[in-house]
Amino acid sequence: MAATLEAEYAFDAEDLESGVKGVKFAVIQRHQERGAAQEHELASFEAMMLPHMDAAHNLARWLLRNEQDAQDVVQEAYLRAFKSFSGFHGSNGRGWLLTIVRNTSYTLLKKNRAADLTTTFDEEIHASDRESVSPAAILVHAEDAELIKNAMNALPAEFREILTLRHQEELSYLEIGEILKIPTGTVMSRLARARAKLREYLTSQTSQEK
Amino acid sequence: MNCEEIKNLMDAYLDGELDPVTSQKVEQHLRDCPKCEQAYEVETAMAHAISQAAPYYKAPLELRERIQVSLREAIGAPASRAVTEDDSLPVRRPEAVRRGVVFDMPWNWLALAAAIVLAAIVASSFLPKLWQPGADQFLATQLIASHVRSLMANHLTDVASSDQHTVKPWLDVKLDFAPAVVDLSGGGFPLVGGRLDYLDNRPVAALVYQRRKHFINLFIWPGEPDATRATKAMSRQGYQLLHWVDSDFNYWAVSDVNEKDLQAFKQQFEVQTSHH
Repeated sequence: MAATLEAEYAFDAEDLESGVKGVKFAVIQRHQERGAAQEHELASFEAMMLPHMDAAHNLARWLLRNEQDAQDVVQEAYLRAFKSFSGFHGSNGRGWLLTIVRNTSYTLLKKNRAADLTTTFDEEIHASDRESVSPAAILVHAEDAELIKNAMNALPAEFREILTLRHQEELSYLEIGEILKIPTGTVMSRLARARAKLREYLTSQTSQEK
Repeated sequence: MNCEEIKNLMDAYLDGELDPVTSQKVEQHLRDCPKCEQAYEVETAMAHAISQAAPYYKAPLELRERIQVSLREAIGAPASRAVTEDDSLPVRRPEAVRRGVVFDMPWNWLALAAAIVLAAIVASSFLPKLWQPGADQFLATQLIASHVRSLMANHLTDVASSDQHTVKPWLDVKLDFAPAVVDLSGGGFPLVGGRLDYLDNRPVAALVYQRRKHFINLFIWPGEPDATRATKAMSRQGYQLLHWVDSDFNYWAVSDVNEKDLQAFKQQFEVQTSHH
């Protein structure tokens, strides 16, 4: 806003031949140059990052399970990203943005809901055999959007994020590993555990129906 | 491969993360083992459920607008914006943002703004003849539109040549004036070509130069005899515009390069044309 005004008046001031304005103009000129450089940087930032806003919002929404929090986090993440954009030289803008969205989300999660982060995970239950679940039962539930959503939301944050990154954003193990800061081997095992947990939830729903 | 091994590899197989040889072995096993095959069907059903049935939360339009506004405010007042401690998460509702910008603005900015406004008021009352932003604004809009169009429609040049001796005769034939055409490769602004354009109700020459990955459109048409000699620099919509005149012509350079580069370009151009 200020930059635009500045540019406007700088331009008008330039028409003046008066020497008194000369000094002031030099000052304005410097500000204008900086303003223009910033606008240029903002334009390239927006061109690179705005296309990933859906991915950013989706990740934040699954992590925080709350629309207002998700929007605040995405806005904050964009501002943070813009502040450090000059230091970003990679080609994977989406991965970089999602990393910031994730970090910002966890800051809020840690602050507000420490309980949500504890992965209460029973390895015994987890070991429940895939073979015991009938694919037909899962397939019936696969169409049930509400149930799948509830099942996902019942999982710990680290499972919610890895499932959405893999199945909704369709990222590779390598890309997921970069965002979560874990080796690809861990991506694989965590995905396996996330799916096992989800399967378990869906199975419990099936047995309740019976 | 036995069933236990398959069980461990199934997730990576499903995600297409196995090397082709291992992948083929798993495939073979799944064909032969109904038990594992059934387990795999469960896995694919779940993967499908997450990608298809689970909601994908697209960013609402209002969030898009909010973010674009806050980014603009961030460059408007860089010192006061968003430089809070990194471990706290400032929740920015729009009104909080606006308050920050007005009250945390450094005093010298406000003083500068006041000085500019005052200078403008004084200028407008004393020198009404020079006060004609409307015409320039309109021309600037036309110039930017023309620049953007030339990049977008893949119609950057009518005559693509880095040779000034090819571009100049081509333009001279098409126009009722003969602008100077110079190659500025030596100064880091190679000539890309020339184009006919239509601006300010008349045909104009557009010379296209390159600066690294960026293009500069230099629009040229004959100048008014009594035109003011002042150089004008403007910034609009993220584009830089630079205007100058010589004894015969009006020049408007438009580009997304920074203003310093554009000034350097003008200087190069003037040095080269004075030799001709």
